[in-house]
Amino acid sequence: MPILALIVLLVAAVAGAATLSRVGTSVGPLRLLGGALGGGLGALAVSAPLDFCTFSDEYETKDFVFGLVLMALGAAAGIAAARAVLSPAKLSSVETSHGVWRSRWLPWVLLSPTLAVLIVFLYWPALRTIQYSTKLARLSNPKRVDRCTYNFTELVGPSRPWLALVLAGLGIAGILAGVMLDRRGMRATHNARSVVAAVSTVALLSALAFVFTDDYRQVYVVTMIISVGTVVGGLAISLGIAFISYQPIRGASVYRTLLIWPYAVSPPIAGILFFVLFDANTGIIDHWTTSLLDTGLADYRTNAVLAQGVVILASIWKTLGYNLLFYVAGLQTIPPDQIEAAMIDGATAWQRFRHIIIPALSPITFFLIVTNLTYAFFETYGTIDYLTKGGPAGQTNVAMYEIIQVFNTGGDLGRGSAQSMILFAGVVGLTMWQFRSTGRRVSYG
Amino acid sequence: MTLAACGGDDDSEGGDEPTTDDATTDATADEPSGDEAAGDDVVIPVWVAFEDYRLDWTNDVADAFNEQVDGYDVQITGFASYNDAFEAAIQAINSGEPPAVVHFFEAATQEARDAISNDGEPVFADLEAIIDGRTEVAGVPVVLDDVVSAASTYYQLDGSYTSMPWNTSSAIMFLNRTLLDAAGVEGTPTTWQELEAACATFMASDAATDSCVTWPNHSWFVEQDIALQGELLANNDNGRSGRADEVFIDSDAMVDYVTWWKGLADQGYYTYTGTQRDWTGTYDLFAAQNVPFLLYSSSDTTALTEEGVTGGFDVEAAFLPHKDGVTDGGALIGGATNWVINGLDESTQDGAIAWVNFLSNPENAASWHQTTGYIPITETAVANLEAEGYFDENPNQRVASEQLAASPDTPATTGALIGNFVAIRDVITEAIESVLVNGDDPAERLAAAQEDAQALLDEYNLLFGEG
Repeated sequence: MPILALIVLLVAAVAGAATLSRVGTSVGPLRLLGGALGGGLGALAVSAPLDFCTFSDEYETKDFVFGLVLMALGAAAGIAAARAVLSPAKLSSVETSHGVWRSRWLPWVLLSPTLAVLIVFLYWPALRTIQYSTKLARLSNPKRVDRCTYNFTELVGPSRPWLALVLAGLGIAGILAGVMLDRRGMRATHNARSVVAAVSTVALLSALAFVFTDDYRQVYVVTMIISVGTVVGGLAISLGIAFISYQPIRGASVYRTLLIWPYAVSPPIAGILFFVLFDANTGIIDHWTTSLLDTGLADYRTNAVLAQGVVILASIWKTLGYNLLFYVAGLQTIPPDQIEAAMIDGATAWQRFRHIIIPALSPITFFLIVTNLTYAFFETYGTIDYLTKGGPAGQTNVAMYEIIQVFNTGGDLGRGSAQSMILFAGVVGLTMWQFRSTGRRVSYG
Repeated sequence: MTLAACGGDDDSEGGDEPTTDDATTDATADEPSGDEAAGDDVVIPVWVAFEDYRLDWTNDVADAFNEQVDGYDVQITGFASYNDAFEAAIQAINSGEPPAVVHFFEAATQEARDAISNDGEPVFADLEAIIDGRTEVAGVPVVLDDVVSAASTYYQLDGSYTSMPWNTSSAIMFLNRTLLDAAGVEGTPTTWQELEAACATFMASDAATDSCVTWPNHSWFVEQDIALQGELLANNDNGRSGRADEVFIDSDAMVDYVTWWKGLADQGYYTYTGTQRDWTGTYDLFAAQNVPFLLYSSSDTTALTEEGVTGGFDVEAAFLPHKDGVTDGGALIGGATNWVINGLDESTQDGAIAWVNFLSNPENAASWHQTTGYIPITETAVANLEAEGYFDENPNQRVASEQLAASPDTPATTGALIGNFVAIRDVITEAIESVLVNGDDPAERLAAAQEDAQALLDEYNLLFGEG
């Protein structure tokens, strides 16, 4: 093990001890030890399987930095785990005497089918993916060549490092400011708090864009555009339609059912349908515009903005039914007396919508943001494959599509795995945000 | 407009065979009917990378084989693409239930030769080694010696076949003679310049349509045009005299070709359909008479000629135009071969050898050619069709064979054997798409592509190279 690696591990251990020592009121030796172990082992857990290769001279500075970042993340996870173990369990204060298993092994037996499925179909493949992501590996050859973190760091190449730094600094400053505001509990600054949160999120996401090489930055930016477009557009449209279709009109139940149909269509079929509609050479709309207006439809396949627009549109249409289902259900749970009270107070239809209905639906909106983002990350592949094949010139090449391309054309297991780890990291981030936000910024009535 | 046409196999795997026929069948195994399947016959699982009318044809031939050859039961399974069949085959071998024959395409010949299963054995057997000099296997005559020279030079290495050539095509040019006559364009362009001049005349005429020419942005066309200039795509004689370890994506021949292509697009003569490897979109433009010229695979000669008959226009086939003033080059083949899996028991292996030879016997080779437009793969089949007067009645069907026969036998016109070629091909088409869509400078963009392609080849050779 290189000396430098040992030093980093020690730093991680000290940082762990320091962090945990400040948590409780008393400084116990157990806490210090736990923190040190958490930090040190966390950092070791990510660097030892790599054989500390990022410290080797064979690899570039960016591999070294990437290794440090990984170790820092591992240490953070380890410290968090140590903290969770050592902190007095909060749950135990709540009396949950009912439903507690007396036997030690029976719950495991009952859980075993679920665990078996998780291990076989989730944890084992995930572990293999992590293994492959550090190799040069190919389907047609059992030989593997170690690549350290090259599969990841080849995507990193800041063309404007100062911009990435400035944006990252802004983002971190924003987060710190947010934490300070939260600590002081200034209620008056509620709006400022939201602005700070939004600015720091955008700054961090943009900083990330400038960390990647030009090629992968395009993938990242395109993924962001298509995901955000699908989620924002999809939620706005489905909320609007849900609100309208919720109005008590005769036959509402019939057309509400009809509205949900696109949900049953698979993403590739959505791609084919929109291709048949929008294709500039043989599409239906092109046929109409040519015969009615004597002008052909612009070719979305050679125009980046149109191509992204059509992909977003198809994805919105595809998720519309699902979103409607939740919004219509949500609207039914809003107590009518709240709305009546607002009407008596003289609130206009828009004011009722803006100040009563939207806040009341916020848990559903939040849930839908998460599920729709997951859809946009993972499921739009089929739609894109039939609509644009990632083109023109990569302008609809989202991360998932890129992963499949990498694997499909070259049978390249290593790169494919590394890139799917990156997507996985994005989803982990999203999930953490979801858990943190649930019950904090979301009003459940 | 049919869904099948939209969902054609213009796949990312780089398959050279467009699907333009509407007839599709299930991907699942199509059990041949007949009572012989029930007996003690040795089952020969054959995996074919077609799902359309070509799979139907194959099934018919399998039925005939099962009837005529005793003791074997060939069972055909269709796959959506060559890569799907290949990936499935490797996984099947690693899990101990391999097929007997897998259909795999020319660009992946190097990979198929190199492929190793988890137990360290080659995935595919060396065909000539397992034939072992026999002229007849299980009563079926071996037709390897009869294979036409363009295919034999491509698929042989050191004079020996590793797989059995089957569907073989060349890139040729199709003309809508009716449209061109209406525009007063005479003759058939044979060079880039002549094609450009014909397009200038056509687009300036009253009969002008949206644009003049299209072809798929598929690396296969790029390779054709490099070979037509007599230039190499990779070192060591295109990987023929030793493993290629250097690619020439940024060669002058390449830059010239892409520059010419971009010029056509900039002048509005060439329509880019907006996606790479778009067989269906380009085919449809020609079939709908939106363009008078189409550069395409000869594999669809039959279908394209038929489009003219149903659409009321004359379709002519011609040689691919080449760079002006260059005469020492020649066109390449495209297509696929049938590979016999390594390590089969003897009776299954003999059945597999019998099947791949049966598929290309003179009768089947001729029928396959007439059904699709892939060249008749054996000399006997060509001679029989000629004797029948088939080519005189269907002059378009002759063009691909003639173009390949006119090609000199040099490393450049034999075609490149390159590891990771499928991924390298995608690097080439990506670069061209950037040039066509974003207006990138061809030389600069190809230089960047060269770096990427070289890295892909280096990685491949690190895994498979000696040592």
